[in-house]
Amino acid sequence: MSRFWLRFMRGLDNPIVLREGISRMRTWRAPLAITLYLGLLGAFGYAVFAIGVIATQISHTTQSATALGAATFDSMTVFELILVLLFTPALAAGAISGEKERQTFDSLLVSNVSAFGIVWGKLVASMAYILLLVVSAIPLFAFVFIFGSIEPDQILITQALIIVTAFTIGSVALFWSALFKRSLAATVSAYGSAFALYGLSAALGYLLTYINTVRYVNASAGQPSDYGLHPLIYGNPFMAFFTLLVPQAGSFVGPIHLGRLLQLLVLDGGPVSQWGPTITSWQLSLYTQGALAVLCVFGAVMLVRGRRALPLRRIAVKAS
Amino acid sequence: MIAIEGLRKHFGHFQALDGVEFTVPKGEIFGFVGPNGAGKTTTIRILATLTPADAGRALVGGIPVGEDPAAVRALIGYMPDFFGVYDRLTSEEYLEFYAACHGVPRRRRRVVAKELLELVDLGDRAKFQVDTLSRGQKQRLCLARALVHDPSVLLLDEPASGLDPRARVEMRELVKELSRMGKTILISSHILPELEELCTWVGFIDRGRMAAVGPMSQIRDRALIGRRLRVVLSSVDPEWLQRVADQMGTVAGVVHAEVAGDHLEVAVGEQVEDHVLLADLVKAGLPVRAFAPIEGDLSQAFLSLTGGGQP
Repeated sequence: MSRFWLRFMRGLDNPIVLREGISRMRTWRAPLAITLYLGLLGAFGYAVFAIGVIATQISHTTQSATALGAATFDSMTVFELILVLLFTPALAAGAISGEKERQTFDSLLVSNVSAFGIVWGKLVASMAYILLLVVSAIPLFAFVFIFGSIEPDQILITQALIIVTAFTIGSVALFWSALFKRSLAATVSAYGSAFALYGLSAALGYLLTYINTVRYVNASAGQPSDYGLHPLIYGNPFMAFFTLLVPQAGSFVGPIHLGRLLQLLVLDGGPVSQWGPTITSWQLSLYTQGALAVLCVFGAVMLVRGRRALPLRRIAVKAS
Repeated sequence: MIAIEGLRKHFGHFQALDGVEFTVPKGEIFGFVGPNGAGKTTTIRILATLTPADAGRALVGGIPVGEDPAAVRALIGYMPDFFGVYDRLTSEEYLEFYAACHGVPRRRRRVVAKELLELVDLGDRAKFQVDTLSRGQKQRLCLARALVHDPSVLLLDEPASGLDPRARVEMRELVKELSRMGKTILISSHILPELEELCTWVGFIDRGRMAAVGPMSQIRDRALIGRRLRVVLSSVDPEWLQRVADQMGTVAGVVHAEVAGDHLEVAVGEQVEDHVLLADLVKAGLPVRAFAPIEGDLSQAFLSLTGGGQP
């Protein structure tokens, strides 16, 4: 068996995942969190559906069942993303700092588990729970499927985006957890990062889009044309959801050439670039979030490695 | 088995270790004694690969800690002074988890956990959640945790702190048992009488420097000025004992003799041979019932060698 497969198999046999799973599922918090998650999502979906029905009755208009189903599905998907953004930092931010607080971290560091194994185990354990939440919500969505109009690829991509978003914010939370000694500081930082990454960046992206638009309109002598969204908002998962769930959205936030994306990023008001492949909002969201997650995992691994005496920091032999 | 050469470490302006040097031969129980802040925990953490040293060399089993920490980790079992446990695991699961962390094959983990629980006398607590165990039981479980990969060196940082007298005795017996199993043990403690009974080697550290290191008997002898003998006579009459003490003070080689309760304590010069002195006392007609050198007290030795710092 090659070295890669040996390492891969050892990675699968990560004891931290199992221990975290046992510890987490033996508390009353685990079933409570699942109940709360499904309760909120179900109540929200029911509320959207009921409001749609009532609105149709009041306005004496005819809204098709498929349109009502699609609206309910869209709302529930966005709400699920918000729930995941709220739940994930709480789950992941205490993963490593909790070990420091419990004074169990040193025992882990003197074991055979690598720094990557520790971080990866913690991340997988947190993600496994999030995955449980997402999977357990599928029957709720099944209620909407009976109205039709929801394409399988829409479901797959939206669920994948939710999981990738959870993975990203989980990685960010884990980075803070590796950095701080206290879970409170890690949790606050994780929620702050989630807000900055998914809320503040969207607001900033909107502002930069406006600046880009004004510059472009001025540059093209009052003839507004393809101004495009700034990558900060174009790559936001909420925008990705919008482009996926609202078919007509594609007409003005459709695929953008990579060259144009870079132009928008640096607020270049020049002629529209057609360079490079086109990229959709959800693709950009997946790539940027994936890159951020990898960066955060790497950072967390470095921080955990720094807690050990490394070969790199070799003890110098006394000159004498 | 453990060798430390010129180890230095500072935290900011505080010099925690200032050229610490000592060795621990294989199979010995090494008592690491010093007051709070003397550098015991820092030294142990460097050996446990948790803290890098600023200068010097630390070797475990001939492997430099700074060059191959992973190999060193396979050789050592570390029990920190403060430790926590995973509350929601049973004792058995707790040990199985650490066995997995140390790379013990899956099929062996349960067996190892059971054997170790028996060793630390927690066999009947295997299915109990760790948070239901007493402090002493948790200490023993933590010691078992340090043994899951069968290390040849044990680094025990204050293993008896916070334990009641019964739990201390149990811990001491456990350490003795581990020594009989061939482990080399470095143990730091404030409770000197216990170390005295337990350790074969001792090292005194004070303000980041080693004040004395060596076999226990050697350190005791070094610390005490001259030697003292305990002489028990057939009479316990204080007045008679005092007269004998006064007369013994005039015997060649005897530095000082005094009544200590129901017996005499006699300080003698290094050149005096015990059997000759005993023969002289018997020839002089004294009814000697017992005659033996007084073993040095570790606390006294520590005070003497470190200039009075409290361990």
